[in-house]
Amino acid sequence: MTPAVSISHLEKVYRSGTKAVNDLSLTIQEGDFFGFLGPNGAGKSTTIHCITGIAKPTSGKIEIFGVDAVKDYREARRLIGLSPQEFNVDTFATVSQIIDWMGGYFGLRAAERKERVDMLIEKFDLVPHAKKQFRELSGGLKRRVVLARALVHDPRLLILDEPTAGVDVELRRDLWRYLLELNAEGKTILLTSHYLEEVERLCRTIGIISGGKITKQGTKAEFIGSAGGLENAYLMATGAEPDHIAAAGA
Amino acid sequence: MTNDNSAPLPRLGINWIGLYTIIRREYSRVMRVPIQAFLAPWISALLFIFVFGYVVGGRISTIGGHRYIEFVLPGILMMSVVNAAFLQSTSQIYFQRFLRYIEETLVAPLSYVEMIIGSLAMTVFRSIVTAVGILAIGAAFGATSMSGILEFLFWVTSVSIIFGLLGIIVGLWANNFEQLTMLNVFFIAPLTFVGGVFNTVQMLPEWLRWIAWGNPFFYFINGLRHSMIGFNEAPEPLGALLTLAMVAILGVVVWRLFERGYGLRE
Repeated sequence: MTPAVSISHLEKVYRSGTKAVNDLSLTIQEGDFFGFLGPNGAGKSTTIHCITGIAKPTSGKIEIFGVDAVKDYREARRLIGLSPQEFNVDTFATVSQIIDWMGGYFGLRAAERKERVDMLIEKFDLVPHAKKQFRELSGGLKRRVVLARALVHDPRLLILDEPTAGVDVELRRDLWRYLLELNAEGKTILLTSHYLEEVERLCRTIGIISGGKITKQGTKAEFIGSAGGLENAYLMATGAEPDHIAAAGA
Repeated sequence: MTNDNSAPLPRLGINWIGLYTIIRREYSRVMRVPIQAFLAPWISALLFIFVFGYVVGGRISTIGGHRYIEFVLPGILMMSVVNAAFLQSTSQIYFQRFLRYIEETLVAPLSYVEMIIGSLAMTVFRSIVTAVGILAIGAAFGATSMSGILEFLFWVTSVSIIFGLLGIIVGLWANNFEQLTMLNVFFIAPLTFVGGVFNTVQMLPEWLRWIAWGNPFFYFINGLRHSMIGFNEAPEPLGALLTLAMVAILGVVVWRLFERGYGLRE
């Protein structure tokens, strides 16, 4: 079966000379719920930006369901929905405009777009806020809007860059349930998070990135089954201080 | 709620809906600031027409058989079109970068050409609305005439595309609001004023006439003036060719910048 994401020898060097991603190779199978872990500045967001087209890879190859993400970028992008870590939204636009415009960029016709926008606004409990400007919303509501926006074109691959950062417990639980539903329906999900319990709860496969490279990859069972569990494995893979590792294993 | 995930997507041709969505979004953004976008240039043009055309122009003899107010109106109109196009284009691209919602289009299945055309479409629309308003103001002073509507549309459209493209370049390059206004302050405004808005080339001292002949704004204003009152100071095909060449060259430059990701994917 063609993998959902296949990255080989990806390298991204910014104009400043910073090498954010260094010879990264990664495969995510279709239908997987993949946890992408790593400390701040490890290269998670840059890798996601290269997959989605926000950043241009310096070298290497990225395929989305077998489609080259650079050469056939338009075809590849149709397959991906992105909920970014930072809000990249016209803050003066209303909730329904933001979701509707995204559907438009993806070529959805007006009737289909309306149906999808209405469904997502309801699904994410945004009905009372649909006509409000994005800047008027609380942090949790903003997060729901960008998630709804990511789903408007019903992508096969959903990329969530820290989707629960700054979100209250109730919404986080709702979101987890919803993501599991989507995954059960066949969507492949790539999730980055700093909450290890979130990754443990949701993901089937986990990859850890450090210094722009994948330092450890395996199934959740392998990580949890190792001495000290996921936290210990994470600290080891990211080259954390020995006392931190000892504390985690204790 | 999901579609059949394994079904292959139909091959994407021109993303007309995506293109139209860029225009819809920009229309919505512009209509949030109608005073700034439309009323301000109309009031500014009204003052220019009143002071220079009506008050001062009343004491100036005719130029080429035309009243001075009729002579300056095309220049004022072109100045407003240039400003409208440049401001629309720079603010559009800069705010997309500043608030990062440019990423919405970068992750979407839109080609660079679709992104550029979408951006220019709104620029041309805003310029035409500005121009129509100024024609109406001119008509109130009895100064509006039209000798060639297609020629008029050619000049308004092509010049707004040129300044729309220049605005995209500046919007991609600028890293702050001050840089955003630099081209306007040091290049566009001075060249417009010496490009024949208020005077003919013959009125300039002989040693200064080269400024007019070497100034693209002179050809833009001259072309528009010809389309409105039939007054012409330069071989018209030269101005039209120069304008089309600028559209082509700037179009290629902007497309290359998008392709390289300059200011977009960094």
